[in-house]
Amino acid sequence: MNSQNTSPLLRFVAEFRAAFMKDLRSYVRYPAWMVGEFISTPLWFFFFALGVTLFAPTSLSSSLPQEGGMSFFFFGFVFIILFGTGMWGIGQTVRNEQMAGTLEQFFLTPASRVTLIIGRWARMFLTDALIIGYTTLLLYLIGGGFVTLNDPALFVFSLGLYELGLIGFGFLFAGLTMRIRSYNTISNLVFFGYMVLTGALFPISVIPVPFRYLCMIIPFTYFNDLVRHAALATPTILSGALEYAIAALLSVCMLAIGFVGFKKIEDEARMRGTIATS
Amino acid sequence: MRTISGYKATVGALTAIFWKGMKHYTRYPGSFVLILVMPFLFTLMIFGMGQFVGGSNASANFATRTGTTNILVYEILGSAVWMIGWVVVEDVGVALRDEQMKGTLEQNFLAPVNRFTLLIGLSLTDIAITSLVFVVVVGVTTIIMLPAAFLNLLQAFLILLVGLIPLFGIGFLFAGFVLKFKEPYIFTQILNLLFATLTGTYYPVTLLPYWVQFLSGALPQTYVIEDMRQIVLANQTLVSIYGSIFVLLVLALAYPTFGYAIFKYLEKKASVTGEFSKY
Repeated sequence: MNSQNTSPLLRFVAEFRAAFMKDLRSYVRYPAWMVGEFISTPLWFFFFALGVTLFAPTSLSSSLPQEGGMSFFFFGFVFIILFGTGMWGIGQTVRNEQMAGTLEQFFLTPASRVTLIIGRWARMFLTDALIIGYTTLLLYLIGGGFVTLNDPALFVFSLGLYELGLIGFGFLFAGLTMRIRSYNTISNLVFFGYMVLTGALFPISVIPVPFRYLCMIIPFTYFNDLVRHAALATPTILSGALEYAIAALLSVCMLAIGFVGFKKIEDEARMRGTIATS
Repeated sequence: MRTISGYKATVGALTAIFWKGMKHYTRYPGSFVLILVMPFLFTLMIFGMGQFVGGSNASANFATRTGTTNILVYEILGSAVWMIGWVVVEDVGVALRDEQMKGTLEQNFLAPVNRFTLLIGLSLTDIAITSLVFVVVVGVTTIIMLPAAFLNLLQAFLILLVGLIPLFGIGFLFAGFVLKFKEPYIFTQILNLLFATLTGTYYPVTLLPYWVQFLSGALPQTYVIEDMRQIVLANQTLVSIYGSIFVLLVLALAYPTFGYAIFKYLEKKASVTGEFSKY
């Protein structure tokens, strides 16, 4: 297909479809990875849930009625999966192509880099949704209760804000892979920082005050809080409307910064000739 | 060409493999920093989640179930042993796969070095690395949080050293499977997660269903974690926990023997089928 002669929308769809299918093919080519992902991801959740039971008054599922009980941690697990997708899915696209020796071909195609990376994100989002659904069912089967959504429309909106911010963040990280060698170490540290400092697994009110201010300048703190608020009716950090306004602004800014940052780093790498060498 | 044989050759090979492993660690300091930081981060996460779940009674609830109010030391001991197990399985188990990926496995196997020496050499690097993990993670936390238990650390370290022997056995076993099945990273992830869940990293194994406890009993980390907690937190001595140490010694004999036998079997099979050069 000659993408030069098609409308921008058709071109986007074609590029997106090609990128999505390419990534899906790579994914199903390694069945051990697929099976492993479906085993290990819920195992992380149950492992942490067991650790936390030591602190609970009676049983974990019966505690914290106002905070959503086990569902609170379940959403923490969802956030971790989604953030991991941004970090290693979007962020590592460039690195993966670099490792496979196909980055130059990837960058030489007459397709938008952004669309190609979004295609990979879409494949990973689909797999994430399957894993989350499967773990929800597993949780229900072992007697952990069924996860319900308090306000589905608000939940979708909040998740949308989260994903926009995450895509921007992922793009910035994808750009950084062209600049830094120790990407894995940095991404792991950022990932752990996310788990501890953004209220993903526990509310930031647990964190002592000087450190809590640090949590409050991280955009993901608000994204997590709003998704959980929409799903479980948990109280928000700021007043509801104000927090939604801030989160919307942050997600748009993150998306813009991510795209601009990625483009700028890519241009610099082209000039230095370091695209495939970092 | 000058050739050496006997124990001198073995020591020379072991030294070379040991330093090769150490160079690898020093060349990627970020990975090593991560190994040191991860136990703290996991502990912080559990601690934060626990404070949220238990509220003002979190410590009391924890003490009721574990017998200690020193949450951080209790959790960091589990975290450190988990991370040490992770390092050993990754290093010893996956090292041969790494050589395969780099295209240097054949050269290693063609060198006049016994396979056992090769695996022991890899293990020696890990003894140094895990000792450092123990000092930084367990040592520093205990000195800050429970200075009175400082002298008990030496006994805890001895337990760790004994516990490393069966862990190397698991590494040998895994190295054999990697030669056969490839794709080791997802298996190490699952295996390490299973180890974390089964060995009571953040909770006593008595919390697990009875049949799961049976599986826990076959894993050396279960005894290492429990013994280290007894020594550091409950002022027990190596003599008072002799039963557990005896089991650990039995595992120290069984795992390397079994692991190496399986490794040799799979290696022999791979050399017949030409698996070495397959990716």
